[in-house]
Amino acid sequence: MLNEALANPAAPSVIWLIGSACTGCSVSFLNRISDVAPVDVADVVAKAVNLVFHPTIMGAAGETAVAALKTAYAKGNYILVLEGAVPTAFQGHPCVVWSYKGEEVTFQQAVQELTARATATVCVGTCACFGGIPASGANPTRAMGVRAFTGRPTINISGCPANPDWVVWAIVQLLTNTPVALDEDGRPVALYSKSFTGEDEPPIIHDKCPRNPFNTGTPEAANFGENGHCLINLGCRGPFTKARCNAAWCGIGGHTAGQPHPGHWCIGVNAPCHGCVEKTFPGPQSFSEPYAP
Amino acid sequence: MPVITAAIDPITRIEGHLKVEVKVDTVNGVQQVVDAFSVGTLFRGFEKILEGRDPRDATLITSRICGVCPTSHGHAAALVLDNAYGVDGDTPERTAARLLRNLVHGACYLESAILHFYLLALPDFIAGLPMAPWTPGWDVGRRFDPGTVSRFTTHFVEAIAQRRNCHEMGAIFGGKLPHTPGFILGGFTAVASAEDKALFSQYLEPLVAWIESTYVPDTELLASLWSEYLQLGKGPGNLLAFGVFELDNSSQPALLLRRGRIRQGVPGVQPVDTAQIMEQVKYSWYADTDGNLPIAQSDTHAQYPKGAAYSWLKAPRYEGLAYEVGPLAWMTVNGEYTGGIWAMDRHMARAREALKIAQAMRQWLAELPVGQPAYTHRPTPGTATAEALTEAPRGALGHWLQVNDGRIGKYQVVTPTCWNLSPQDDSGQRGPLEQALIGLPVANADKPIEVLRIVHSYDPCLDCATHVTRAEPGAKVFAGRGGTRGRGRTRPSISAVEGRLPRRPRSKPGGLPG
Repeated sequence: MLNEALANPAAPSVIWLIGSACTGCSVSFLNRISDVAPVDVADVVAKAVNLVFHPTIMGAAGETAVAALKTAYAKGNYILVLEGAVPTAFQGHPCVVWSYKGEEVTFQQAVQELTARATATVCVGTCACFGGIPASGANPTRAMGVRAFTGRPTINISGCPANPDWVVWAIVQLLTNTPVALDEDGRPVALYSKSFTGEDEPPIIHDKCPRNPFNTGTPEAANFGENGHCLINLGCRGPFTKARCNAAWCGIGGHTAGQPHPGHWCIGVNAPCHGCVEKTFPGPQSFSEPYAP
Repeated sequence: MPVITAAIDPITRIEGHLKVEVKVDTVNGVQQVVDAFSVGTLFRGFEKILEGRDPRDATLITSRICGVCPTSHGHAAALVLDNAYGVDGDTPERTAARLLRNLVHGACYLESAILHFYLLALPDFIAGLPMAPWTPGWDVGRRFDPGTVSRFTTHFVEAIAQRRNCHEMGAIFGGKLPHTPGFILGGFTAVASAEDKALFSQYLEPLVAWIESTYVPDTELLASLWSEYLQLGKGPGNLLAFGVFELDNSSQPALLLRRGRIRQGVPGVQPVDTAQIMEQVKYSWYADTDGNLPIAQSDTHAQYPKGAAYSWLKAPRYEGLAYEVGPLAWMTVNGEYTGGIWAMDRHMARAREALKIAQAMRQWLAELPVGQPAYTHRPTPGTATAEALTEAPRGALGHWLQVNDGRIGKYQVVTPTCWNLSPQDDSGQRGPLEQALIGLPVANADKPIEVLRIVHSYDPCLDCATHVTRAEPGAKVFAGRGGTRGRGRTRPSISAVEGRLPRRPRSKPGGLPG
């Protein structure tokens, strides 16, 4: 199905724009690895998507780069991928994304216009989805998520960073015109509330955690460095976090599910879940004390 | 012939948001850059975001300053917390922590170097793959024969896998990358198993071989084919290295890459005294009272427009002088790179430094104890101050912490790109990149590919450099390079995409499946 979509010259192009972000979601995207096509980021970019604008990897700079984006915008048939929060203080000037004919264009302006004409908008990472770290604490730039800023629908692939497999999955669904069911936070149910193989499973990290004391009898760690123990007293937000990291971060660990070495995730290295996929991330609470929303 | 002013915005293939403006004129028959301005165009305000938080959160929050050097900030924050709360002693826990931090930090170093050379810098010298997003690009000339083109293209594709392997390797102990949760006050969360070590080694050995057989020779080949860049792009000639990769558990540990400083015209390597570092703000959008204070006491009050200010970056200076930081600086300070200090030297030094780190990682992996917890507990009293110096893949990094009433009262970060891409300082001395650009011959002022080559040689990370700024409510912002051009002008609201006045957003948003 994907191949048919890709062979189709009318398939939408992809514009990837970065706002108030750390580039970490783009770096995560480069880490894509899968057993099924597209297998890695080279495969994604060479065969799966017509990525006309991505500031971190594109060849052109300056107005040549902006021209590529404008051409895609004029055609109108594009998927918009947004990484980073939208700073709204000072008329958006905390983030300037390009200059054209001598005038600076803010991320806020670009998001407003590009979302209006996009076939669909995919928010990559918790900053674009919900504001994330730039919007936390005193929120000095009055940063916010894209959906809150534009009022337009988005497909939210949250995470800090966003899991590359989830990002590619979302783009593939759009390219193949496959309907995507979303939860109340705009996140695909298939990614955040299902198992790796697609069956229903508890969406809450804690409920399926191999260190859940109720299910597994694992002792609770009183301090860091207690290998293999439940991390609930050290700030774990697993009971309040809905995702399938238990399966999906295996991609980063170099191994997909079912292989002898299951790969790694935060809890696997004795680190609490910090709830980075949730709209409550990071919140004012300590990451090292028992978490209460 | 009039002076041409060219603004490149965005500078692509970097981390973060950067505009570079150059003035181009013909001097002695050669069209060249006669003035340059480095302009950071993003700020998020991490300093304010951190204030009031549990100090232990600093490792996690500061990691998010940068998705390319997250472990450098995580490590710097862990060091500053260790220093603040007195984590010390020559114990098995501290040995395990030091080795795990070095291994995960090292993995990110290798990832960053490979990413930088092949994906970010190489497209300045060789036409990209004939598809978006590499085509259309700027004209890079046709200096390579078909065999060389084939070689670099093959290695470009290999590099995509090799840099991913670096992150997969680091994630064995880090859990995930970028933004590992492993770096904590007192140590590291992971406890290594024999299986982890074996898997890590399975990644590391091919990486060492690839860096040695492919990456290092590729930088030398590129330098030989573009040898004019062995004579172009020199910065101020002053080099600063904070040093990185602790080799023992003492309070002043030996470092794989030692701390030191070379001042142009002064023989030998000089010591580093952080009391000599001050940030100047005459050309930065901050109140003048923020300038010329010791880092730990400095503060950040955005002010714009402001006189001739043109950048969100402050201008850090050592004894009032601009210093270049990065792989070329520390490899030269360590006596391990003895070539020049020009653009191509940065690439060659970065590759050799990657090889040195990769080889050292073998030793750290061998020393890493199996089953040994890597955490030292310390109470976190209400008041503390500390400083920590380390390096990120692109140069010297410092974190400064002040804890009041058990909460972060003040957090200061001075990043490598702040040094390298700083604007002019109070005396009008340009930043290292600005100095490196002046005198650069430019063939096409509309598409000055030569400028990109110099910018990319520094591996700039604007995400890092523009993180700690703080905007004052009600301050006015305007376009352009600040007061010299735009003072008092009412900025017209220009449509982002059309370059025309804005229209109402379309009432019918794009259809969303499901």
